[in-house]
Amino acid sequence: MSASLYSVAHSLVAIVLTAIGSVLPSPLRQGITNAGLITALGVIVFAAILLIASMLNTIVLIWFERKLLGRFMDRRGAMHVGFAGLLQNFADGLKLMRKNTFRPDEADGLGFYLGPTAYMVTSLILFGILPVSTGWNSGVLPLSLLLALVVFSFAPLFIFISAWSSNNKYSLMGGMRSAAQMIAYEVPLLLSVVAVVVVSGSFDLNTIVAQQQNYWYWGPLFLALLVFVAAMLAEMERIPFDLPEAEAELVEGWNTEYGGMLFAFFMLSDYVRALVGSFLVVLLFLGGWTMPSWVPSAATSFPLAGIVWFMVKVYVVFAVFVWIRASLPRVRTDQLLRVGWNRMIPLALLSVVLAAGVVMVKCLPIFGCLPNLGI
Amino acid sequence: MSEMWINMGPQHPMTHGLWNLRVQIDGELILDVDPEMGYLHRGIEKISEDRHYNEVVTLMDRTCYVAGMAWEHLYILGAEQALHLQPPERAEYIRTMSEEFQRIASHIMWYAAFVQDLGLMSPFLYGMRDRDLLLDLFQSYTGARMTYEYMRVGGVRNDLPHGFTDRARKVLDWLIERFQEYDQLCMGSDIFRRRCDGLGVLSARDCIDYGVTGPMLRSAGVARDLRKDRPYSAYDRVDFDVARATTADVTGRYLVRMEEMRQSVRILRQVLDWLDHHPGPVMAENLPRWLGAPYAPIGREGYLLKREYPKGVGFAAIEEPHGEAAVYVVNQGGEHPYRVKFRSPVYVNLSAARKYLVGYHVADIPPIMGSVDVCVGESDR
Repeated sequence: MSASLYSVAHSLVAIVLTAIGSVLPSPLRQGITNAGLITALGVIVFAAILLIASMLNTIVLIWFERKLLGRFMDRRGAMHVGFAGLLQNFADGLKLMRKNTFRPDEADGLGFYLGPTAYMVTSLILFGILPVSTGWNSGVLPLSLLLALVVFSFAPLFIFISAWSSNNKYSLMGGMRSAAQMIAYEVPLLLSVVAVVVVSGSFDLNTIVAQQQNYWYWGPLFLALLVFVAAMLAEMERIPFDLPEAEAELVEGWNTEYGGMLFAFFMLSDYVRALVGSFLVVLLFLGGWTMPSWVPSAATSFPLAGIVWFMVKVYVVFAVFVWIRASLPRVRTDQLLRVGWNRMIPLALLSVVLAAGVVMVKCLPIFGCLPNLGI
Repeated sequence: MSEMWINMGPQHPMTHGLWNLRVQIDGELILDVDPEMGYLHRGIEKISEDRHYNEVVTLMDRTCYVAGMAWEHLYILGAEQALHLQPPERAEYIRTMSEEFQRIASHIMWYAAFVQDLGLMSPFLYGMRDRDLLLDLFQSYTGARMTYEYMRVGGVRNDLPHGFTDRARKVLDWLIERFQEYDQLCMGSDIFRRRCDGLGVLSARDCIDYGVTGPMLRSAGVARDLRKDRPYSAYDRVDFDVARATTADVTGRYLVRMEEMRQSVRILRQVLDWLDHHPGPVMAENLPRWLGAPYAPIGREGYLLKREYPKGVGFAAIEEPHGEAAVYVVNQGGEHPYRVKFRSPVYVNLSAARKYLVGYHVADIPPIMGSVDVCVGESDR
C-alpha cells in the first residue's frame, strides 16, 4: 500500500470537485477546481476519515477490553446490545451524551471545560502523527517519534488543570498524584525510547519500522521494551499505575466532578491513549506493519495487509495490558516514585548502553544484522 | 499542600456501607481520623422489645446482612437462656453448621471487597462466584439466600433436605481448592505484599485496651476465640485450631481470615459427618405454645392471652465472623423480650480507627479499613 490515506482523501476531493465543477459555468468551475481548495478540503476529509476510523477503533477496543476482562473474571462481559455486546459502548456513549453536563458552583469555568477538551484533542492528534502502514505519512514528519511523545506527555498537565479547577479535594489529590506520576515515569520512558533511536538511527517512525526488517527490536532491546511498557502503563493510567483515579480512596480522582459528555471525553481519551500506547509499542519494538520473512507472502501481500497486521499486533499488545489489569493490584504513590527513580531509570540507562552495543557489533548471533539503509 | 479535613463517606467507595471517616491529611499523610457511625441506625434493639421472641430473628438477619446466620444464632442462644429452654442436639449441630457456612460466606465477601479496594477486580468476582455456592446451600435448606429466618427458640425451623450433606461436601471440596487460588493471587503478588505488609498495625496490648476482637485480635498473636474459650452449641465436640498471626498488620488479618476459612471447612466436615449418622428432632418438645414452633401452630388466641412464664435473663457471646458479639436478653414474663442489648464487634473495632490509621498514607486507608471488615448494619444496629 504505497498510497497514503492523505493522497486517497486528496484524489477523492479532486474527483468530487471536478464532477461538481463540470456542471457549473466556467468562472465558478475554475474557482471550485482550484488546487489550493482541493488541498484544503483534502486535509479536512483526511482528518475526518482518520477521526472516524480511530474513534471506531477505540470503541471496538473498549469492547475488546470488556470481553477480555470478562473472560479473565470468569464471566462474559457485555452480551445484550448488538452481536456479543458489540453495540454496548455506543449505547453507553449515547446515554452519556443525553446527560446534563454539570459544573459545580465554585469550580473555575475555563479550566473545568478546557481540561477535558484539551485532553481529548491532544490524545486525538496522536492518530495523525503515528503511521499505521507503509508511506502513511513518510517524509512529512522526520521527527514523528519525538512529536508523538511530546504530545503524549501533555496529558498530565490538562489533568492537573481540570483537577485544580474542579475545586474538589479528591480531584486535587488525584491531580497531584498525576503530576507525581509524570515525574516518575517520563524520564525512563524517554530513555527507553533513546535505546530504539540509537539502534535505528532515526526519529522517523517510518524509518524505525523499516530498520526492523531483519529482526524486530523486542529481542535485542528486551530491557528497553520492559521499561517502555511499564512506563507506558503509567502514562495510560491503567492498573497497576492508575493511582490518580484510584476509586477506592479518591472516588474517581481527578474526574470526580465530571459527568455526562465531559466524563465521556475523559473516558474515551483514556482508551485513545491506550490504543496509541499499543501503537507505539508495536511501532518501536514489534516491527510495525512488517512481518518476518518466514510468513508466507500470500498472508502479507493482500490489499491493506500492512494495516491488518499492524492492528493484529496492536490488539495483541493491548490484550497483554488487559491481562495485567486483570491480575495486579495498584501500587502507592511513593512506591511508584521509588520504582520509577530507583529501578526504571537505571534499567533504561542500561538498555541505552546495550543498544549502543548492538550498534557497535552490527550483527547479532540469533537475530541477524542491522540493515544498512544509508542513514 | 496544607492540612485539610476530608470526608470519606457517608457515600464513598471505601466505606462499604454508610458511615463517615473524617480524615485530616497533609498531602498524602494521615494526621488524624474521626470515624462517625450511626447513619444506618434502625433501632433494632428497641424494635425487638415489641416483638415475639421468634419474630426478633427476622431483625437479626438484617443486623448484619452478610452474616445473618451468626446473628440469628447469637440471639437464639441468649433468648433460650432467658426462657430456660434447651434445643435438641441435632439442632445444635445444624446451628454450628450454619454459623460456619456463614463464616466462610462472610469471609469470602470480605475477601472480595478487600481486594477490590486494592484495585484487583478479578479476585472480587472469583469471591462472589464462590460465595454464590454457599448461598445456594443456604437456599436449599432455609429457602432464602441472605435473610434466612431459620433459627427458632428451642431449635431450628426445619431439618436439612435429603442429600444436603453430600452437596455441601462437594462445595467444600471446591472451596478448599479456591482458597489456594486466592492465596496465589494475593500472597504470591509482590505488589499485594507491598500494599499490605506493616500497615494498620494494632498491637495485642492496644487491641485488648480498645476491646478489639476477632481476626484483628488474633492477627496480633492472641489466640482468643470464643468457640474455644467459651464453647457454645456443638463447638466443644468438634476439633479445630484457632487461626493466628503475629504481625498485627493487614497481611496478618488476611492470613488469619484465610486460615479461619480452612478451619471452618474442617469443622464443617466433622459436623456434616455427625449429621449423617444422627437423625432426630430439630425442635425442643416442651415449648410453650405461644412461641409459634412448627409443631404447635400458633392460634389467634395465643396472642391475646396474657401468660405467665418463668422470668430470666440470658447472656450469650459467640465468635461472629467480625469478632466477638454478645447479647443480653431480659425476660420479664411477657411474650416479648423486656430488653435486648447487643455488642457489635465492628463498632468497637471501628472506634479504634485513630490508633491504626494515623501516620499512614491516604492510599493505605482502603486496605486498612478493608482489613477491619466493616459491616455497618451491625455496628449501627
